[in-house]
Amino acid sequence: MSDVRKPILELKDLSITRGGVVELERLSCVLDRGETLIVLGDDRSGKDALLRLLGGFAQRADEIAGTIKLGAGDEQPAARKMRSPIRTVYLPGIEQAPFNPHVTVASQLARVVARRHESPRESGREELRIALERLTGAPPFETLEQKPSALSAVMLSWGLLAAALAQSPDLLIADHAFAGLTPIEIKAIVAALQAEQKRAGFALLYAARGLQTAANIRGRVIVLRQGRVIEEGDFDKLASGQAHAYTRTLFRALARPGEALPARTTRGEPLLQVHGLDFRAPGDRGPKARDGLSFELRRGASLALVGEEGSGRRRLIRALLGLQPFVSGRVVLDQVDLSILSPAMTARLRRRIAFITGADDALDPRMTLWDTVDEPLRAHLGLSRDLVAGHRETALKRVGLASHDGRAAVATLSRFDKRRLQVARAIVSAPFLAVIDEPLRGLDAFAQTIMKELLDDLRKQEGPAFLIVTADVGVAQALAEDAMFFKAGRVVERGPLREILKNPKDEETRHLIEAALGQSCYKTP
Amino acid sequence: MVMTVTGQPLQSALATVLRAAGWIGLALIAVAVSLSDFLANVPADTVNAGPLLGPPSEVFRFGTDVLGRDMLSETLHALSATVRAALPATAVTLVTGALFGFVAARLPRPLALSLRGLIGTLSAVPGLLLAILIIGLTSRGWASVAAGLAAAPMAFVQAFERAGTQTRAAHSEYARAAGISAVTLLRRDLIYEFTQTILSSAARALAAVTIILSTVSFLGFAAEPPHRDLGLMIAASKGYFLDAWWTAAFPALALTLLILFARLAAGLDEGERA
Amino acid sequence: MLHFALREAGRLALGLLGALLMAAALAALGNRHVTDGVLPFLKAWGAVLGGLFQLDLGHSAISGGGVWDELATHLPLTLELVGEGLVLALLVGIPVGFLFGAGPARRAAAPLAQALSAAPIFVGALVLAYITFHVLHWPVAVGTEVKTSLKLVPHTMPELREALLPVLTIGLAGAAAAQLGLRRATVETMHEPWRVQLRRMGLTAWDVERAYVLPAVLAGLFKCLGEVVLALLSAAAVTEWVFGYAGAADLFVKSVALRDWHIAAAVLFVFAGLTMTAHFIGTCLARSIADPGAPTPW
Repeated sequence: MSDVRKPILELKDLSITRGGVVELERLSCVLDRGETLIVLGDDRSGKDALLRLLGGFAQRADEIAGTIKLGAGDEQPAARKMRSPIRTVYLPGIEQAPFNPHVTVASQLARVVARRHESPRESGREELRIALERLTGAPPFETLEQKPSALSAVMLSWGLLAAALAQSPDLLIADHAFAGLTPIEIKAIVAALQAEQKRAGFALLYAARGLQTAANIRGRVIVLRQGRVIEEGDFDKLASGQAHAYTRTLFRALARPGEALPARTTRGEPLLQVHGLDFRAPGDRGPKARDGLSFELRRGASLALVGEEGSGRRRLIRALLGLQPFVSGRVVLDQVDLSILSPAMTARLRRRIAFITGADDALDPRMTLWDTVDEPLRAHLGLSRDLVAGHRETALKRVGLASHDGRAAVATLSRFDKRRLQVARAIVSAPFLAVIDEPLRGLDAFAQTIMKELLDDLRKQEGPAFLIVTADVGVAQALAEDAMFFKAGRVVERGPLREILKNPKDEETRHLIEAALGQSCYKTP
Repeated sequence: MVMTVTGQPLQSALATVLRAAGWIGLALIAVAVSLSDFLANVPADTVNAGPLLGPPSEVFRFGTDVLGRDMLSETLHALSATVRAALPATAVTLVTGALFGFVAARLPRPLALSLRGLIGTLSAVPGLLLAILIIGLTSRGWASVAAGLAAAPMAFVQAFERAGTQTRAAHSEYARAAGISAVTLLRRDLIYEFTQTILSSAARALAAVTIILSTVSFLGFAAEPPHRDLGLMIAASKGYFLDAWWTAAFPALALTLLILFARLAAGLDEGERA
Repeated sequence: MLHFALREAGRLALGLLGALLMAAALAALGNRHVTDGVLPFLKAWGAVLGGLFQLDLGHSAISGGGVWDELATHLPLTLELVGEGLVLALLVGIPVGFLFGAGPARRAAAPLAQALSAAPIFVGALVLAYITFHVLHWPVAVGTEVKTSLKLVPHTMPELREALLPVLTIGLAGAAAAQLGLRRATVETMHEPWRVQLRRMGLTAWDVERAYVLPAVLAGLFKCLGEVVLALLSAAAVTEWVFGYAGAADLFVKSVALRDWHIAAAVLFVFAGLTMTAHFIGTCLARSIADPGAPTPW
C-alpha cells in the first residue's frame, strides 16, 4: 500500500434531515486508509443517517447537505447517489436479521460476493471460503452450508464478516456488526478483523451502541448525540474520565477490573436450596457433574451464573423453577420441595418470581404499557382499581416511564423502554427471586448505565434474591456477590466473585474474565 | 436501523377510506332494511301489481317479474329478509367460531389439539355443503343457525392459529414462568385480539354467512315463499333472466353490494382470507 | 424434509380418519331420529363403521343402488369439473396474483379484488351465462336438462360451448382463492428484514426477488392449495345445480333434500378427503421449495 496515509473518506459539514427532523448536523471528519473510527451513540444520535449515506442506501426522504470526498476522487456534494472510486462494503449485525431463513447461509453469502465481483456463483463461494480460512478462529466453510436457523449468532457473524472481507473493501461499514455476541466471541472476532485490516489496509467505520465491541477495537471514537458530535478522541482518553458529562455517563457502563461488590455481611434465610441436581434433560447423554450440583441461595443474595451460550445456565434455571424436567436431585424453593408440588401449586409459588431479560419478546407486544404493569397485581392479588393504579404509578416513576402514554402498546416502545418496563413489572410483583438474563444486551451505553442503577435500586428496595445469567463478567460484578462459572453443562468454578476475579483457577474462568474486563488483568501463567 | 416503507401512510389512508365506505354502505343498507315496509310500494309477494315481465319504467323502476310483482318492492323485502337472517348467523359465527377458537387455544394441550383436529376436519368441507347438511338434519327454520355454524370452522381455525402463535411466543412462556395462569393469558387474547377486532370480525362473518345463506336459498334449502330472500328471488328468475335481465340483476346487485360493503368494512388486509 | 412429509402424512391420516368417523356418524344419524336417544345412535354408528370394514358403504335410500355405484356414476363428472377448474384457476390466478401482489397495481388491487370477488358464485354463473348468450350468441341452458358427462377435452365447437361455462365458473372461483393466497404470501415477504439487508450487502433488487422472494411466494401459493380445492368444490355444487350436471355435488344436495344420508355421508367424506389431500400435497410442495430448516437451537 503506497498511499497508506491518504484519506479514504473526508466529510465536511454533512447534515441529514428527514421529515423536518435534523438527524445529523454539520458533521466533519476524516478517515484514513487502514484507520478505524468508532461512531458511538444511541438510536437517535444520527449514526444511522450517516451509515445510510455512506452505505449508499439513503432514502428519498433524506435531505442531504455538505460535501464528501471519497478516496482519490474529487470533492462532491453529498447526495443519495454519488460517484465512488472506492469500494464500500456494508457489514450488518446479526440483530438486523439479514438472512433469508429458507436458504443456506453459504449460498446467500456467496451470491453477495459473486455479485460484487460480477463473477459466477462458484467463484463467489471460493472467495468466501478463502476469506473464511484467513480468519483465525472462524468456523470451517462447511458449517455455513446450513440454514440460518441451525447456526448460532456467532457463526452467522463469522460468515457475514468473511463475506464482507471477500469483497475486498476499501471502506468497511460495520452496522452494530457484533452486537449481541458474548465478550469472548467479540474478542475473537475483533482480533480476526483487525488482523485482516492490518493485512489488507481497509478503513473501518464501526457504529456501536454499547462499549463492549468498542473496548476491543479501541482506536478513534466520535460520540454522537442528537445529531451532533459532542466528543472525539482516542478510546482510552475518553474512558479516562476527563470527558464531557454525557460521555462520562456512557463510559460508566464500561466494566473495569476491581469493581466487584463486597461480600454481604448479613446472611438471610435460605430461599433456594439445591441438592445433588443433575439438570440435564432426561435422556440427555451430555457430560454430568460428578455428584450433581448443590448450592444455596439466601434471601436477598445475588448469584451470577457466568458462561458462554449453551453452557447450561438457562437449563439450570428452567430446572430450578420447575419448568423443565431433570434427571435427579432435589430443589427446595421457599422451604417447599418442588418435586412434591402439583403443577398448579408450583405456578402459585412462581408468582413471586420476576423475570428481567435481554430478550425483547419477553413482554406481550400487544399489551398496553399500563396493563403490563397491572397484570401481576390484578391476576395475583385482586387489588382494587385505585390501589393498582397507585402501585403502577410508583413503579413507572421509579423506572422513568411515568411520562409515557400508558395506553401505548408495548410493541411501539424502544428497546430500552421495554427493558425498563420489565423492571416496573418486577417491582409491583414484590418478588422474592428475580431471574435476570443478560439485562444489558443490545442497549446503548447510556441505557446500560441506567439499567444497572435500576436493578441495583430494585434489589435495595424490594430485596429479592438475584439469579443472574450472563456471559459478561462485567455484568456479574456489577450485580452479584457470588458466582458460578459454567462450561459445557458443568460448573467449573464457584465462590465469592471478588475472590474469583482476583485469582481465577480455571482456564475458562480466566478467558471469561479477560474478555470482559480487558486484556491486562492477568498474566498468563 | 428502521426502514420506513415509503408510501405506507398513503396506503393506510386508502385503507381507512375504504373501511369507512364499507361501514357507510352497511349503514345505508341498515336504513333501507329498517324502512323496507315504508319504502316498498306494495307488501311482499303482491302478485299482478303490474304487467307480467315488464321492463324498468317510470312506475316500476326495477320492472316487474313473471307474476307481475314489483321488483323494487320485492328486492327491498328480500334484502330485508336476507339481512334479518344474516344477523343471527353472524352472531353464531362470532361465538362458535372466533370466540371459541381463542378459548380452545388456551385449554390444556391435548384437549385443544383434539378440538382443533375435529373442527379442522369440518373446515375441509365447503361451508355451503355443511350448511345444507345442517338444514337437512334439522329444518328450514334453522337456516340462520346453520349458515352461522357452517361459517364457524374457518373463523375457529383462524382464531385458534392466531392464539396459538401467542401461546408459543416467548412472552407467553415468561408469563407462565412467573405464575401467570392460562385464564389471565386468555384474557389477554380476548382483550387484545377478540374485542379489539370484534367489529371487523363481525363484518367479515357477515359477508361469509350472507354468501352461504343466499346460496343455500338459491338452491332451495332456506327461505320459503312468501318470505323470499335475495337468493330465492334470483333462483326464481333463472328461467327468464336471459330475456328479462332485470328479474335477476337488481336482487343480484343488492346482494353483491351487501357482501362488498361487509368485506370493505372488515378492512381485509391484502391477501387476507375473505 | 422426509420427517416433515411423514408428519404431514400422519396428520392427513388422522384427518381422514376423523372425516370417516364423522361421515359414519352422519349415516348413522340419518337412519334414526335424534330423539331416539344416545344408545341407539351409537349402535347405528357402530353398525355403519362395521360395514365400512367390509367395504360396504350402504345403500341409497332412494334409488336402492349401492353407494359405490352412485359415487362411480356421479363422481367422475365433478372430478373433471374440479380438475379443469383447477387448471384454469392456476392459469388465471397466478398472473393476476403476481400482477396485483407485486406490480405497481398493488395498491388498487385490494379493493378491486374485493369488488370482483364479492359476487357469490351463483351470481357469477348467471352473469357469465347472460354474457355468453347475448354477446357470443351461444345457446345457454340454465337448469333445464340434466347432463351426466362432460368432454374432458372438447373436440367440437358444441362440446366446447357446453363445457366452457361450467368450467369457467368453477375456474374463476378457484382463481379468486389462488390469487388471494399469492397476494397473502407476497405481502408477508414484503416486510421481511432480509429483503432490505441483502440489498444493502450488495445484491440487486432483481437478485433478491428472483432468488429469495419468488420461492417464498410460490410456497405461499402451494400452501393454499387446500383452500383452492375447497373453493372449487363449493363452486362445483352451485355450478352443477345451475347448469344441470348430475355430478357428485349435485348428488349431495339432492340426497340431503331427500334425506338419503348414506349417499350424503359418502360424498361429504370424499370432498373432505380431496381437500385434505390437496392441502397435504400443497404443504409438502411448499416445504420443498421454502424450508426454514430446524428450529433455532439458541
